[in-house]
Parts: sequence; C-alpha cells; structure tokens
Amino acid sequence: MIEAAGLSSRAGRFVLSDATFTIPANAWGIVLGPAGSGKTTLLETIAGVRRATSGSVVLRGVDVTQVPPEGRRVGIVHQHGYLFPHLSVSENIAYGTRDAAAASDIARRLGADALADRAVQSLSGGERQVVALARALAPGPDILLLDEPFAALDQRRRVRVRAELRRLQRERSMTVLHVTHDFVEAGTLGDIAMVMDGGRIAQVADPETLFRKPASGAVADFLGAENVFGGEVTRESSSANDDVAALEFRGHGLTLSGVGDHPGGPGHAVIRGDEVVLSTAVQHGTSARNAIAGTVLEVARDGVLSRVTISAGDASLVAVITSASAGELSLQPGVDVIATIKATAVHLC
Amino acid sequence: MRARGAHRVATAGVVTGALVLLLLLALPVAVLVMRGGVEGLRQLGGDAELRQSLMLTAAAATAATLVTALLGTPLAYLLARDEMPGSSIVSAVIELPLLIPHPVAGIALLLAFGRASPIGDSLARVGLGIVGSPLGITIAMLFVAAPLYVSAAREAIARVDRRYEDVARTLGDTRWHAVRRVTLPLARRGLIASAVVMWARAVSEFGAIVILTYNPKVASVLSYDRFTARGLDAALPVAAVLVILAVVPLLVLRSLRAGVGPAERLS
Repeated sequence: MIEAAGLSSRAGRFVLSDATFTIPANAWGIVLGPAGSGKTTLLETIAGVRRATSGSVVLRGVDVTQVPPEGRRVGIVHQHGYLFPHLSVSENIAYGTRDAAAASDIARRLGADALADRAVQSLSGGERQVVALARALAPGPDILLLDEPFAALDQRRRVRVRAELRRLQRERSMTVLHVTHDFVEAGTLGDIAMVMDGGRIAQVADPETLFRKPASGAVADFLGAENVFGGEVTRESSSANDDVAALEFRGHGLTLSGVGDHPGGPGHAVIRGDEVVLSTAVQHGTSARNAIAGTVLEVARDGVLSRVTISAGDASLVAVITSASAGELSLQPGVDVIATIKATAVHLC
Repeated sequence: MRARGAHRVATAGVVTGALVLLLLLALPVAVLVMRGGVEGLRQLGGDAELRQSLMLTAAAATAATLVTALLGTPLAYLLARDEMPGSSIVSAVIELPLLIPHPVAGIALLLAFGRASPIGDSLARVGLGIVGSPLGITIAMLFVAAPLYVSAAREAIARVDRRYEDVARTLGDTRWHAVRRVTLPLARRGLIASAVVMWARAVSEFGAIVILTYNPKVASVLSYDRFTARGLDAALPVAAVLVILAVVPLLVLRSLRAGVGPAERLS
C-alpha cells in the first residue's frame, strides 16, 4: 500500500502541495498530468530521494516519512533510465542485489538478457528503459514507482514489456505507482488513477470515473474531453441535500439538461464527443433531453471515425461519429444538423 | 563594402591582440628553456643539491595534494550538492588564499603555526616543527593550492547528475555508499585533473614557502637563492628544469581533457 497524507515537497522553485491519496496493496496506480505538474516530484518524494516538507508517506502501513530511501525498499524507474555509465548492462541490473540468479531471471523475462554484454553507452533509449526496469526489479521490491518507463520503447516492445510487467506485478503482489501520458495505458493498466495539475492532485478515482466524470474543467480538458464549456449550473429538482439532482447548465449560448451532484453555481459542462448524436432532422420519440440545432463547420476524417465540429450557441460542439455515418448524412461544412445529447451524458462539474 | 572593410579591421585587431598575448606568455619561457634547458638537464646528473631540491619539491607537493584530496573531496561534495549550511561563507573562506599575496600567506602561516603560536609550540614539542621543515613546506603548499583542488573538484562532482546517486540509494545503498560506488567513479577524471592542477601549483609555489621554510630548499627557493647569491647564470639551469618539469602535469591535463568520461559519453 502507498499512502500519502498532506504530502508537500519542493524541487527548486516547484512546490508539490498537499498530496493525499491511497493506492491499495497490489493495485496499479496511475498518475496523469501535464508536463511540470509535479508527477516526478511526487514519485521522488515517495521514494525518499526528495525530502517531504510536510505531510506523511506511509508504505505497507508504516510511516516512512523520515526513513532514508535505502530503508524504504522501493524500486524506481526514471524516464531517462539513469543507468550507471561506468558499469556494464549486467552490472547495472545486478547493482541492487546479491542474488545473481534473480537478476538474470528478471533480465531474461524483460528481454534485457540479450543486452548483457553491451556497453550502456551503446543502448538505444528504449533498451535503456528496459535495463532500468530490470535493475529496479532485481532486488525484488514490493513497491514500484515508474516515471514514463515505456515512453522510449517501440510499439511492439512496449506491448511485450508492459504485459510482462503486469504479470510480474501480479506474481509478486507489487503495488505500482506509474506516471504516464498515455491514456490507453492508464485505462488498461490502472486500478486507480489521479490527475495532477500545478503541483496538486486535482482528482483521484478509478480510470473509468476519471474519464467519464472529471472533477473540473481543467481535468476534463487535460483528459481530452472534446467539449468543455464554462457557465452557471442550477439545481432543478430534489432538495439541496440530495446527492443527485436534475441540473441545468447555461453558458456559451447553450442550455443543457444534466444529472449529477453539482451543488449549483459556476461550473463546467463536459460532454465527450462520442456521446453526441448527429441527425439532419429533429428526432421524435427520443429520451434524450438535449437537442441542439447547429451548422457543420468542419468534418475531419481519421480512419473509421470522423470528428465533426458544429456551431452551437456561441460555442463549437464536437461530435465523434463513424465516418460511415458522416457519409450517410452527407455531412459537410454548411449543412444544418441537430445534435442530440442525453442528460446523463452531460457531466457537470 | 564598408561593412566588409570594418569586419576585416576587426578580425585583424583580434588576431593581432591574440598574437601579442601569446608572445608575452610564450617568449620568456622559450628564452629561459633555450638558454638554460640543456645545461639544467645536464646538471641534474651532477648537482646533488638540485636533485634533492626537486625530490623535496615533488614529495611535499604530492603529500599536500594527497591530504587535500582526502579532506577536500568530501567538502567539495557537500558544496557541489549545496548541502552545507553557510556554503557561500565556506566557499569564500576556501577561495580566500587564492587572493592573498603569497608572502602574506607565509606570514599568516608563520603566525598560526610558528613556534610562537600555541599550535606551533605544541607541534614542535612532539617533533613536528613547522618552520624550517618539510612539514612546513607541505603546509604552505597546501594553503596556497588546496583552494584550486576544492573548486575544481566541486565542479567535477556537480557535473554528475544527482539522480544517479538517488537511483543507487533506492537500490539499497546508503548515501556515502552511493557516493563511493557511483558519484566518485563518474567524477574520477575531473578529480584527477583537479589534483594535477593542485600539484602543479604546489610545485611552483615560492612566496609562502620562502617565509615559512627557507631551508631545506624547494626548487623555486633554490632558483631564487642561486640567483641572489651567484647571479643569473647560476639560477638559469634550475629555473629551466622547473619549466621543463611543468610540462608533465600539462600533458596529463591535456590527455584528461581530450578523453571523455562515462557520464559525458552517455549524454
């Protein structure tokens, strides 16, 4: 288990503030966030190589805030590997263990055994990452901190190493905290995910919730939601004490019905592009609460999917539909369309 | 056309300036070696005083360098990692001897470690007299040259990315274990170069040594002694041999700089 409570630290002028989260034992935690949001600083503070200025780090149920890195039994893999350049690949992998068999086994499983005789300087970026991963795993840590460990791997090797690492994590019951920019990786590996922004944790949730119900406009924007509008939220029904209520959003010339736990007041409406249904005529007999008339501004085809931008109110609304549908509807700039969105697809935060 | 003419004048000015400076640096040394070099090398065989003086100089410089490397490397590490309280004050204290005129340094050492001082008196009682002894020569060399070692070693260590050390610690090394296994090997070339610079500077020291320990004579003092006692012709061979010997550390430094260390190769 990895637990941070009110954790703060400093890296030069950058400040990590008040990070609080729990990654349960044997779970795979994902850290997302724009560059410079504090992801690496967070990992380094948990590993103990960066001093916590306040708050606490609890590993395996034990407060290790004052414990030096060598006492935390945590493996860390940096994006750039940081292989020791004065040592060979095999010496790097065996650096943290006296068990040569364990080192060679982990090297074999990750495909680093073929590199054993190579000089560190001759390795590609991807090869360095694999060796760095083997080096971190060789001592057998039960907590692993990964800072974009697959970023330099080619697609084929990335899939293979990722799958092997997942197997190792289950076999060894490891708890993992993994920084990545890859949303697919976050969705496939993560049991729990967090988004960082400006040195703070903006949201912690399971990946599905994170993508479907971002906690703020900034989180939604970072996670690639196609439609994020700022405006005013009004609770329409139920008492103020109810968790879930019918909501109305007004902003950018749009009026949208939604459902959620927003308390009312300033907020954001977030609609994923694949939740927007386009038609060229008003659909009767539909349960969808929102029907917005607009005009197509742009149709961008990307393989089987098309990204259709329509003018709606003062804003642009993006729908992601199949290219086949776009063709059947003869969508092109200037065509009038109706965008239909279910109230449950309008996330208000 | 006017711009091209101005460019040519500027280029000619830069080249002329560089040549004048080169001439100022190289001419005296070249003349000295040409006039006294052969005789100096020939005298090495028959001049016992010169041989002993050179051996004393090399031994004292080596001792000063080894002591400084032993004590100064940890200090350089703490300064490089910016982990010493009051590091700017410490840096200023370390650099101060570089700015003091060397005879003044000799006087300061005499006051601190001479027989009239409590430390000097105590040392003299146990047979470690500073004045007029090889120990005094070593201390004078250390005082004037150690700042060069600490500054250069600090730079060499600062060039090693701290994350190497951090990774080693997550792999089970203690702080100092990581420094010994990772940081120092990666900074090795820079540390050797720092020691060579210090050694060369120590060998060439005169001002502080002549105040503290005129006898036994190091090579620079011997050269001065012969010049004042017997004239230019007597001093020339000693001076020329010192210049020729200075080429050795110069060549070592050149070869260290020409090679590329493991950390640089990786980046």
